[in-house]
Amino acid sequence: MRHQAMSRVKTQHSPGATAARILRSLGIHALLLAGATIMLAPFAWMISTSLKDYSEVFTVPIRWIPSRLVWSNYVDAWNEAPFARYFFNSAFVATVTTIGQLVFSALAAYAFATMNFFGREVIFTLFLGTMMIPDQMTLVPNYVLLFRLNWIDTYYALIVPWLGSVFSIFLMRQFFQTIPKELYDAAQIDGCSRFGYLWRVMVPLSRPVFITCGLFTFIGSWNAFLWPLIVTNTDRMRTIQVGLSTFMQEHGTVPTLLMAASTMAIMPVVIGFFFVQRQFIQGIARTGLKS
Amino acid sequence: MEGSIYVGTLARYLLTLAMMSLLCLGVYGLLRLGRVREETAAGYALITPWLAGFLVFTAGPILASLGLSFTSYDLFTPPKWVGLENYRWLFSDILDFWPSVKLTLAYAFLSVPLGVAGSLLVALLLSMDIRGIGAFRTIYYLPAVLPEVSVALLWRWIFNSEAGLLNVVLRPLFRMVGLRNPDWFGDPKFVLPAFVIMSIWGIFGINMVVFLAAIKNVPRVLYEAAEIDGAGPLAKFWSVTFPQISPVVLLQVIMGIIGALQIFTVAMFARPTSAAGRFMNQLVYERGFLQLKMGEASAIAWVLFVIILALTLLVFRSSTAWVYYEAEVRK
Repeated sequence: MRHQAMSRVKTQHSPGATAARILRSLGIHALLLAGATIMLAPFAWMISTSLKDYSEVFTVPIRWIPSRLVWSNYVDAWNEAPFARYFFNSAFVATVTTIGQLVFSALAAYAFATMNFFGREVIFTLFLGTMMIPDQMTLVPNYVLLFRLNWIDTYYALIVPWLGSVFSIFLMRQFFQTIPKELYDAAQIDGCSRFGYLWRVMVPLSRPVFITCGLFTFIGSWNAFLWPLIVTNTDRMRTIQVGLSTFMQEHGTVPTLLMAASTMAIMPVVIGFFFVQRQFIQGIARTGLKS
Repeated sequence: MEGSIYVGTLARYLLTLAMMSLLCLGVYGLLRLGRVREETAAGYALITPWLAGFLVFTAGPILASLGLSFTSYDLFTPPKWVGLENYRWLFSDILDFWPSVKLTLAYAFLSVPLGVAGSLLVALLLSMDIRGIGAFRTIYYLPAVLPEVSVALLWRWIFNSEAGLLNVVLRPLFRMVGLRNPDWFGDPKFVLPAFVIMSIWGIFGINMVVFLAAIKNVPRVLYEAAEIDGAGPLAKFWSVTFPQISPVVLLQVIMGIIGALQIFTVAMFARPTSAAGRFMNQLVYERGFLQLKMGEASAIAWVLFVIILALTLLVFRSSTAWVYYEAEVRK
């Protein structure tokens, strides 16, 4: 920060340099604006289409602002499929998955980070190795397993396989390891058990990492598609993403309804994003490897 | 009525949680009875829930899928051992399998370099210290969290050959080269470009955020030293920024390859016709979950895995030439 300020003072001495700086900043602004336009244009078009009358959808040149705002598209889309159910399922599955994953990951990470036990390194290495293995390797056998268990089209199928997470355990372990061991010794003298130490000392100290893991898990679960697609087959269990895909199969030819449905599905994520934006970005910056 | 289902489900989950705790305690007690060190017993007790899930849903299935790939299995009758039949059949399938391998590989080769270079460029722009950059960053981050499904649905409409945004905007350009509204997902010539265009839009979002974080971590002292040596912006990038962030670039290339080869959601929504070609993961889905040929689906998944592994190793091999690790130079 300090260096920055100094170099700024230096450049401000000559008027030519100032002009160059302003020009440069203008150029960057122009580029950034162009990028933002390209990025946002599809969404503007989505919202525009969702508010058009069907007759206006195919007019060329494009009418960005519909001559009449047809809000009823949203009502129609909402009534065409059980969206309330889809949203509820997504919220329920994502919440339970997140809580469960945080609990199990914290327990495992706590053991990996603070305890010395036989086989720890072997297990941990083996487990990191599976990060490399693509999801669809396990897709068929997992489906077969759940089919045998009669779990297809239940919340179990949507939640249970995702309760363990390489990513969360890895991240928590890294964080737990930075907490000095002296704290544990001190706590033990005060009569704190292993579990008490995790609950009363580790967890409160590791809030940022819990927030990061929780956010990633929740978003990942909310946005998941392939797994919910194969393990659900009725509207009772479909999540919003799968519901949207069945909606497309049934109303694929009506762009206004499709875009209204798509907007409805995106909106909670966009609104949520603006609330947790800072934590989310810090999380990515901290980990550098989520994809 | 409906409400009771949720209450029941919730109760069952709490019960499961209680059982899990009992299981942990059980493991602990058993190990202690066997005179295992207290710390070891506690360690195993704590990793038990995760380890159980890991063995059942990750480690086990990986082996099982290899086994299944040598069988013929339709879920309802027991799997029948067929040896290498599934693979033989795949490799002789020039209608579906080989075109999908070609399309998937071509897609990865085009989209990964473009995507990594593009997101790096955007990150460089966003790393500049200028007024109002905060607002731009917020906007540019947004795609990182958007559900792929909604975005895929949107793309399908954008690529609509009659009234899609892309065709309408590009119409003058198409006229010049004598094209009439390309049918992006129906015409074999256009399917690959269509998916690459979609992937380029992906330069905004998570990769860019990761690059931006990496660029921000480059020590400023290095830039100042470079400035004293008279380095311009380009020289600064190639001799300071790029070497410093090259481990992140490597990671992004690898994650990019893994992701690109596994492309599924957008492809499912775009619904390319079989004449235009489908991606390998779509074949896994079709064979396994629509036609219930679990053996064939597993075989395709394994071929895809081998391809991913080979390419990842190749990139790792090449990385010694262009990835810079500070610790190595110092010794």
